Amino acid sequence: MTELLYWQALNRAMDAEMAADETVFTLGEDVGLYGGTYRVTEGLMAKYGEWRVRDTPISENSFTGLGIGAALTGLRPVVEIMTVNFALLAMDALVNMAAKIPFMSGGQFPMPLVIRMPGGVARQLGAQHSQRLEHMLMNVPGLRMVVPATPQDAYWQLRQAIRSDDPIIVLEHELLYFSKGPMDESAVAPAMHQAMVRRRGSALTCIAYSRMASLALEAADTLAQEGIAMEVIDLRSLSPIDWQTCQQSVEKTHRLLIVEEDCRFAGAGAEMAATLQERCFYLLDAPIQRVAGMDIPTPFNGAMEAASIPRSADIIAAARALTAAA
Amino acid sequence: MKQSITMPVLSDTMETGRLVRWNKQPGDPVKKGEALAEVETDKAILDVEAFADGFLAGPLAPVDTDIPVRQVIGYLVDEAEKGQAATPPSPGLGEPAPIPSPAPAVSSTPSTPIMSSPSPVAVPPTQPSTALEKAAAFPPPSTPLPTGVRASPYARALARDLGVNIAGVLPGPDGTIHAAQVLAAALAAPEADLRQGPPYALERPSTLRAAVARNMAATVQTPTFQISARLAVEPLHQAAKKAGVTLTLAMARACALTVAADPWFNHAWTAKGVAKRERVDVGIAVDTGDGLVTPVLRDAARRPLAELAEDWRILLGKVKKGRLNPEDYQGASFYLSNLGIFPVVSHFNAIVPLGASAILAIAATDTQGKADFTLSCDHRIIFGADAARFLAALAKRLDQPDSSLA
Repeated sequence: MTELLYWQALNRAMDAEMAADETVFTLGEDVGLYGGTYRVTEGLMAKYGEWRVRDTPISENSFTGLGIGAALTGLRPVVEIMTVNFALLAMDALVNMAAKIPFMSGGQFPMPLVIRMPGGVARQLGAQHSQRLEHMLMNVPGLRMVVPATPQDAYWQLRQAIRSDDPIIVLEHELLYFSKGPMDESAVAPAMHQAMVRRRGSALTCIAYSRMASLALEAADTLAQEGIAMEVIDLRSLSPIDWQTCQQSVEKTHRLLIVEEDCRFAGAGAEMAATLQERCFYLLDAPIQRVAGMDIPTPFNGAMEAASIPRSADIIAAARALTAAA
Repeated sequence: MKQSITMPVLSDTMETGRLVRWNKQPGDPVKKGEALAEVETDKAILDVEAFADGFLAGPLAPVDTDIPVRQVIGYLVDEAEKGQAATPPSPGLGEPAPIPSPAPAVSSTPSTPIMSSPSPVAVPPTQPSTALEKAAAFPPPSTPLPTGVRASPYARALARDLGVNIAGVLPGPDGTIHAAQVLAAALAAPEADLRQGPPYALERPSTLRAAVARNMAATVQTPTFQISARLAVEPLHQAAKKAGVTLTLAMARACALTVAADPWFNHAWTAKGVAKRERVDVGIAVDTGDGLVTPVLRDAARRPLAELAEDWRILLGKVKKGRLNPEDYQGASFYLSNLGIFPVVSHFNAIVPLGASAILAIAATDTQGKADFTLSCDHRIIFGADAARFLAALAKRLDQPDSSLA
């Protein structure tokens, strides 16, 4: 097993799928000559040529639509949108076309489309470039979305997404590209939308995803020293969500903490809290708690920016409060 | 400014307190330190003092109800006119307790004006079948809880499954019954089934009685044994008279000195290790007429007898007024229980309270001036031979009482 950076894992996944299937190609801004803003497509143009690694103008709606058209003709496009913030320009293609055509055609047109893009708060990129828009995309029936938190998952889930006939968003995170983790290309992947229990615990369940999953694990270490055994579930997928794994954990711990970087109001965590209280109401020993981003456009000031999204200390404090009256 | 007055935490074991009375009314000016209300805790009635100058503001929590510690019972405001607040103190921690009413309030009479929640929206009875069917799929609302107490869904479900009457479960420190409290109630000794017996009425025990019941039940896990001896009380009695102290005090002193000579009697077994204490604190059982308290004489082996006598006088005064503080009755290392004033009692034994090594039960003195002494010991700390040696040493002290009263 080797240690790889998150972007390198994605790069290997792209390479593997492009080598295995010549209908796989990628397009987007700076994916070719430049090798991708976060290096994910590095070296691919040299290896597979500009026909399969295509640079596009700054025109998200158009090149996303181009990907959709290619998928309709049987190709397996991987569209890179530079950040989720720019996906707002491609909403018509994503929501009206990618998500709906398979349904409206009665399944005659599958949509083997992958949209790769990073989301999340990075470092002082300003409010317009620091968004987490997963809640918007979760609300689009027909779209699927995976949120890998580790290099291994990035590798597995991108490969699985490319092989799937459904339109899938691979939501990466700007601060994860340069995080390192073990990766085994030969290991058997779990199902694409399956959640993983990253750490076992009995006092409470913490559900997180993407970068927040590693933050939750960090918090769990500190909490363990205080004798609070926090179970950490990395959702890995936001659409669909593996409720079974979540429910099994709550059946054991009876206390649930949801951590999301997305804004709290109508965010991903709101869906989790709502569904899990429906499924686990009589098992809950305390109200479900959310630690989430503030409902504000992300401040530019570094200290304020950091305070506007969950930090490890926020998770620790919430877990303490949730377990205090056990 | 409006500040909350909360139910104070007056002892380690206190989970709820019962408001006995409010000394002030909303709008009354109060001075810092003034007694606003009286609260009955496990073992005593204590004052709730004002933490600042100001005016008492309502609404005030009702008297004669058990209120979880740290819950708001009233307010202190800067200005008198603000005293009449419209919102009542919420029963929980800041939020109204979501206690579902068992039946929807479909009454033509004006609804009770106490809750300030948004006026209930009349729900048109559309699609009654689906709604009812759906509701039927879930367990019916369980027993209503006392005002101000709420229970988590899991606690309610557990209570139902385990057959625990949740209305009788004491809430946790946050005013909420969680699973832990239900489990504790379920694991508690089974309740007597009185249904086949004579008809009866239920009365809530005084908090003192409830505390004694709880403390005594908590000792069930302690492995104990008893050992008895007939010892001469008369010489000590005479010496006490001569020294101008009560026999109780003289006996406490004799015991304290005997404990001091064998430190194992001053140790306590804890999960973390043997607690070796640095002074001998003797607790003495006192009958209050409605239960039992154990005022403690601190450092009873080393301090001058006169000082102990004064302490004891003060403690008995507090017992009479029901104003014993937790620090007055908690934490003795050795206990004494004397039923000598009942000539009919020839022998009895007592229960070792948690945290003590042993308790000495003294029965009535016979015509020869001897009484039955029964020592109940925590066998994790004290062994039979230790107990025998202790009684032998005590016998010696009682034969030479001046050594104890010097």
